[in-house]
Amino acid sequence: MRNIQMQVNGKAVAREVPDQRLLVDFLRYDLGLTGTKEGCSVGVCGACTVLLDGQPVSSCIVLAVMAEGCEITTIEGLAEGDRLHPLQQAFIEYGGFQCGICTPGQIMASKALLDANPHPTREQIREWMMGNLCRCTGYYKIIESIQAAAEGKTGP
Amino acid sequence: MGILRSIGQAAGHVEGPAKVTGRARYSADILLPGMLWGKTLRSPFPHARIVSIDLSAARELPGVHAVLTAADLPEVRIGRFLRDIPVLARDRVRFIGEKVVTVAAETPEAAEDALRLVEVEYEELPAVFDPLEAMRAEAPRLHEHPETYEHPPIPPIGGDSRFHPFANVCSQNFFRRGDLKLGFTAAERTFEHTFFVPPVHQGYIEPHACAAAIGADGKIDIWLSNKTPFIARNQLALAFGVAEDRVRVNPTAIGGDFGGKGSLMDSALCYFLARASGRPVKMVMTYTEELTAGNPRHAALVTLRTGVTRDGRITAHQAKLVFNCGAYGAFIPLHFVHGGVHAASGPYRVPHMEIEALRVYTNTVPRGHYRAPGAPQTTFAVESHMDMIARELGIDPLEFRLRNVLIDGDESPMGERWQHVRCRETLMAAAEAAAWGSPKPPNVGRGIGIYERATGAFGTSSATLTIDADSKLTLLTGAADTGTGSYTVLGQVVAEELQAPLSDVIVIQGDTDTAEWEDGAGGSRLTHMAGRATLTAAREVSSALIALAARRLGCAPDQVQMRDRRFIASDGRELDWDSLLSWAAEHEALPLTRSGSYVAGHPVEVTCYAAQVAEVEVDPETGQVRLRRIVTAHDVGTVINPLTHQGQIEGGLVQGIGQAMTEHLQVRDGAVTTAHLGDYKLPTAMDIPELSTVLVESKTGPGPFAGKAIGEMSNVPPPAAVANAVFDAVGVRLMDLPVTAEKVYAGLRAKENRQ
Repeated sequence: MRNIQMQVNGKAVAREVPDQRLLVDFLRYDLGLTGTKEGCSVGVCGACTVLLDGQPVSSCIVLAVMAEGCEITTIEGLAEGDRLHPLQQAFIEYGGFQCGICTPGQIMASKALLDANPHPTREQIREWMMGNLCRCTGYYKIIESIQAAAEGKTGP
Repeated sequence: MGILRSIGQAAGHVEGPAKVTGRARYSADILLPGMLWGKTLRSPFPHARIVSIDLSAARELPGVHAVLTAADLPEVRIGRFLRDIPVLARDRVRFIGEKVVTVAAETPEAAEDALRLVEVEYEELPAVFDPLEAMRAEAPRLHEHPETYEHPPIPPIGGDSRFHPFANVCSQNFFRRGDLKLGFTAAERTFEHTFFVPPVHQGYIEPHACAAAIGADGKIDIWLSNKTPFIARNQLALAFGVAEDRVRVNPTAIGGDFGGKGSLMDSALCYFLARASGRPVKMVMTYTEELTAGNPRHAALVTLRTGVTRDGRITAHQAKLVFNCGAYGAFIPLHFVHGGVHAASGPYRVPHMEIEALRVYTNTVPRGHYRAPGAPQTTFAVESHMDMIARELGIDPLEFRLRNVLIDGDESPMGERWQHVRCRETLMAAAEAAAWGSPKPPNVGRGIGIYERATGAFGTSSATLTIDADSKLTLLTGAADTGTGSYTVLGQVVAEELQAPLSDVIVIQGDTDTAEWEDGAGGSRLTHMAGRATLTAAREVSSALIALAARRLGCAPDQVQMRDRRFIASDGRELDWDSLLSWAAEHEALPLTRSGSYVAGHPVEVTCYAAQVAEVEVDPETGQVRLRRIVTAHDVGTVINPLTHQGQIEGGLVQGIGQAMTEHLQVRDGAVTTAHLGDYKLPTAMDIPELSTVLVESKTGPGPFAGKAIGEMSNVPPPAAVANAVFDAVGVRLMDLPVTAEKVYAGLRAKENRQ
């Protein structure tokens, strides 16, 4: 067991966790932030993507203790009250999800993309999002959603 | 009918805000006070007798609350129709991954530690993995007394009983039409080809999960990743030996289904753990468990024999389908792989036909349903076969199809008399958009695939609609939205009928105690059936509002019309929506609730077609196939929601591309060797081609507002379209899937050696 501290969605958290606890389980079950999903458990599907100091990581292959002192952003940290982040709004308006299980990971990965490159080309989006599997949409509408968010084409 | 407002709107999913913020609750997200974690120990052998199980060390581990084997459970088998799978293996295991022991503990780590302390002694038995070998008289038998199972595989449906002596035949079906001998006598050329389609996984990103809790009053609450909560409830009640009303299945978001989430999976076991431990229990499968012990698509061996005239008219067609169903047949809701049988003759005019379909037990992972069950397998075979015949006859593959596809007035091979047949139009639309026949660069080829499937019409759907004083319309449905957008589409049906904005409609999925019976998602039925039930409920509500308006206006209801949110009497007097609602509220007429149901009656008379043209480029040095472009043309009815409709087309298409080019659940000596998503290759954003969608619209569907089904269309033709395009590009014919660079390379070298 080890004591860890970190910032999660702007709030300081401190917990005692077993050394082997994965970040995804820490977020989901110790903190109750079940918006982060677990799919493949081996770091290839991207469903568990969160931002660790602004960088996208697969939280299913990161130990909670490795996030000591870091700043974590999960899907729960994106909207401001009822006001959705433009990516969240775009994924709804442009059909960027169906079942929604991969969506928190897709949105976190695309947030990292737009933070690094606010105006990506379609090819850059495809390449960046390659690590986030989606079985429902066939990706076309995910790419459109990200483009729309980047171009400010969302909202009423 | 009112002014169209909602139908045809590209509305985003009504549950969107919950899904994009992480608030939507999936089965694995259920957290209950005092909840334990369940895990299972699975068989490492494909076929073995369980000699002994030592649980003593596992039971002593701190934090462990229950350790169960089959000896602790009632002697029941479960299944969607054929009930042949035990909740835990009893005496014998029949595939690698079969559940033998289960544990509930304080943490998932403790549950796993406990399983490591369990000792099981097995005595290995001879195993059989290939369905053709499994049908031989000397093959080891998987099930000694299948005739004792509920809905047993014997007697067979629809034909003779040649395979009776071989217990490994799980089901056999025969479809006959005309006189096959006569048909082949009339043929000037006869072609026979055999194709193999390996198993693939549904690939939903959410592994199966479930939770169970038993209340002080004995009520059993279940949460599970299941697309048909009412059917699941009844199956659970049977497994538990309790009345149906003792079990309540609670709605959860479903993280992808594609046909694979219709079974109980761990949920019956989860209840037995909750009962034994006295605590709520949750079980979440790992993705490795999904791939090795889920319910993937059936592998199929398809042999086709077709007689044709020299000018390319089909005179006879014979199909023999052998589906490998794995160790159990429990994961499909019918006796046979329906779509595969149906698609075995294609959308062609076939006067004389015979289809024989077998489903055979082997010591491999049990197979289940996946989007258009059976159809991708047989369509790959049929559409490749037709292409091969066309080329042998020297007829363009498009022209060959045009000479044989059904037109109005034809009887289909399966004996249907479809109305408004639009096969030709759909095929032509695809060919036109793909510039079929236009010049191509070297090593570029085009291939066609076509598929027919009717809108689903079975079971019963129900809907309950309430309007309240502030004009909100609450639709209570028992139908789970597996991600297809069914909540949204049902909401649009309500909005349309009540001439209300979609934002006034609230769609709630009730639990199985709250909502009325609903057969749920499956077989492309939901928009049709639940949509019709919803429309009936909405019409009842509008009639009730008209009756209230008539009361207010002092006239007979048949003298009032609802138009554009106003109630207009035949003498010209009118009442606006809000004044009626406030008046009705004052007179205690609100909230007002009406129900509707829709029961499948006569079969639908209109079907749907999907035609695709794939364009590939093959690297002649390496065999690498690049999918440059796909045209997908669809014969559709009224499109209720263009956004979700197109989402179904695109998502299905890429699943079909996966089956065509990258996916293969590899099974070696009974063990699935592609056991994680790094090895099992789902398509990524980099794998998708340029896409053109063509909708061939006609307002002829059986659904609400003349809609047709779209969910199980676009995923079916891609394997054939791609394989046919590869042949067109470089002259290499692949008889099995997926179309990999290695196979194309081998084909190119073999071709060189022949020359």
